[in-house]
Amino acid sequence: MLKLFLLLTIGLPWLGAACIWLIGDRRPRLLHAFAVAFSAAAGLSALAMLPYASEEIAISLPLGGIFGNFSLVADGLGILIAAIASVIGCLAIIFATDYMKHAHQLARFYALVLFFIGTMSGLGLSGSLLLTFFLWEITAFCSYALISFHNDDPKAVAGGIKALIMTQVGGVGLLAGALLAYAYLGDYAISTFLAQAGTLPPGVLAVIGFSFLLAAAAKSAQVPLHSWLPDAMEAPTPVTALIHAATMVNAGVYLLARFYPAFAEIPGWSTTVMIVGALTALLAGLMAVAAGDIKRVLAYSTISQLGYMVYAVGCGAIFASQFHLLSHAIFKALLFLAAGAIITAIDTRDLQKMGGLGKKMPFVRLAFIIGSLGLVGLPIANGFFSKELILEKGLESGPLALYLVMLAGAGITALYTLRLNWLIFAGEPRGPEPQHDGLPAMRVSLGILALGTLTSWLLAGGLGNMFAGTLPFHHIEAETTLTVAEHIFSAPATWVAMAVILLSGALWFGRAKLAPLGRIFEPILVHDFGFEWLQTQISRLVRGSAALLQHTQTGQVNWNVAGILLGLLAVLILLARGISS
Amino acid sequence: MLPFALTAVSVVFAILAIQAKRLMTSAIWLAGVSALLSIVFYLLGAHLVAVVELSVGAGLVTVLFAFAISVAGDDAIDMQPVINRPLGIGIAVLFVLVLFFYAAQAGYTPAASPELESSLGEVLWQERGLDMLVQIVLIFSGVLGLLGLLAEAKAPLEGSVAEEISARRERDLNKMESQLSEPQEVSK
Amino acid sequence: MTLSPLLIIMIGVIGLLGAGFYGLLVSRNLIKIVVALQVLVKAALVGLIAAGNYNGQINLAQSLALTVIIADTIVAVMGIALGVQIRRHMGTLDVRELSKLKG
Repeated sequence: MLKLFLLLTIGLPWLGAACIWLIGDRRPRLLHAFAVAFSAAAGLSALAMLPYASEEIAISLPLGGIFGNFSLVADGLGILIAAIASVIGCLAIIFATDYMKHAHQLARFYALVLFFIGTMSGLGLSGSLLLTFFLWEITAFCSYALISFHNDDPKAVAGGIKALIMTQVGGVGLLAGALLAYAYLGDYAISTFLAQAGTLPPGVLAVIGFSFLLAAAAKSAQVPLHSWLPDAMEAPTPVTALIHAATMVNAGVYLLARFYPAFAEIPGWSTTVMIVGALTALLAGLMAVAAGDIKRVLAYSTISQLGYMVYAVGCGAIFASQFHLLSHAIFKALLFLAAGAIITAIDTRDLQKMGGLGKKMPFVRLAFIIGSLGLVGLPIANGFFSKELILEKGLESGPLALYLVMLAGAGITALYTLRLNWLIFAGEPRGPEPQHDGLPAMRVSLGILALGTLTSWLLAGGLGNMFAGTLPFHHIEAETTLTVAEHIFSAPATWVAMAVILLSGALWFGRAKLAPLGRIFEPILVHDFGFEWLQTQISRLVRGSAALLQHTQTGQVNWNVAGILLGLLAVLILLARGISS
Repeated sequence: MLPFALTAVSVVFAILAIQAKRLMTSAIWLAGVSALLSIVFYLLGAHLVAVVELSVGAGLVTVLFAFAISVAGDDAIDMQPVINRPLGIGIAVLFVLVLFFYAAQAGYTPAASPELESSLGEVLWQERGLDMLVQIVLIFSGVLGLLGLLAEAKAPLEGSVAEEISARRERDLNKMESQLSEPQEVSK
Repeated sequence: MTLSPLLIIMIGVIGLLGAGFYGLLVSRNLIKIVVALQVLVKAALVGLIAAGNYNGQINLAQSLALTVIIADTIVAVMGIALGVQIRRHMGTLDVRELSKLKG
């Protein structure tokens, strides 16, 4: 049974993508129906895998040679990722049936989204390092193609290229790590690697650990490789909600969590992970305060929340990080989709042109506020439980300074979320009249996600149980939901965090007095703490050196022959030194 | 001793072929190299290759060169080389020296005890059967390619294609520029 | 260093290689480049046959050499045909001029 569901979860979206591609753009109604049907079926089969979770290799495809075996393993981590990808993918597609109603080239859109969903499920379920790398790169391609979906818009094209290049940096890290592991162990299986990581020379293990960290940082948009995510906001909003909030950006956190047992012993690795996470959480939160575009605010908040998850992995709190990953996927998808509804209603993303939308859009407002509760981490919503769990673990096992940074991050989260809600819903209308309060299909997705945001924390016990049962290397202890909740409510860290959140809420209402301070810092925040500048310099350097090297490409056969000969000579002379010595 | 002397002479011929001012002279020296080497092959016991080299290398290819030169003309004599001659000589001599170093270092012991070798037919058609197959494919593709090239020659284009290409490129570039300069509509 | 017979032949081979590479380096005429390529391949042929003679495996060497001759002849034929066509269409055989046409 498990094998069937595994294949369906990965294969159905791919099959759907192929069908939709073949149907073409002529029949939009058929496209909508197909996309929803295939993604819903994939979502159901991903959920159907839940009872079958096991650490055993479910499917193995021997490719022979240096490719090893491509295997699929349906363990707790993998099923979690696959379930998030397929279910939220399905909801995003349902949302898109309204959002993309009048868009051109629907076939390309749906085919790529479905292709992405299947690949992301596969990435979670893959049991081979090399297969992981292939799927990792396919998700990067889908993300690029969908960011640049409106390919007549130069901004969208530039954003797509930027995302592609920056995630490639990470992809190289993943490939290097995988090949090194293969060179020493002779096997790509992840279970082999986790079991035998201790036998590798410490230096080699450290290189693998840090190159995986690079891969994760690029994919999960961690400082200093974060700047592609805000620019990725040119993608259609359902794509943003799915790829750039709920699934693909989680791949980095997933990777770190998956390999944590192997790397935990590397000196400095955990600390580096914690520092990257904490820095990201803080800086991205600050930038979210200053951003003026509704989707960019949410993008920075995504980066910041990913920072929380990375920090949690650094602390060794794998369960907390994956629990927050689940919570975040749900509430951030909700926030983005609600933002999408607002954008279609008033046709702008500029926060300065919003305001007073609450009265005309009560349903969307409700959904957005529920999502915000999750983001801020107030009780009832799922974000509360997972975030408090992370903060508590951080206080327990991380350095105090980083804990304080994370605490400040929580306060900043509250601040920018309040600002966002205030600018959108409160006050007088500053822009166009909203056209609707969420179209029917949008309301379905928003309703389900809002419900999920309020209830998904009930899954804590089940999730912990599944992790404890199927991840032998991670040593996770199962706790029931009740104990987790009790634990959280009785921990002092929780009440400290609540106090900080309330304090920052108060800060927003005293903003008039803080205005001069804001004026000083705003330029820094808007300009991305100089990271943008740094990246521009790097890309200019690369382009400059490429232009210099271009002069050697004369295209003349004589010079080409000279180049070949001189290269051959260099090799021969080097070898000759070896012969004579 | 004869094979060594003939090889040495063929090197001289090769240098003359490269140095020749006229293409036809060059082709004739090349035919000379081929003819000398086919004798060397015969002396070394490679009878079949000697025959093939003499007929194909010295015969067919030379005829083709003559045909090409008669069509393309024997001009472009005084072109200065892109890489000047001393530099070219320098690279070539350096290369020769390094290779000579390798040749002198090598051991020159027969690789395996010379077993009783199978006959040429067996080697050619059985042991290296795949080679023959590839050669047949190669010959067919060569013939097809040649036919393609010659077929196009039947309908020579008016004027120089180069001019036309550059004119076309210019036009495309202008078009692109005018498109770029128009204000872009930014979709959401 | 003793001058074994094979070494003497190899010196000839190296000489042919040097001449061929020199031709590739300094020729600007497309047909001259084909001539230089021919010289290079002849060097390879001599090396093959000499090694076969030395190892007592002359038939193997012959069959390999035959493959080389066929491949090389096709290269020559295609090169010449291309040269003729280029000359007809572009009006020149100068590789330097031709490289300016790259797109």
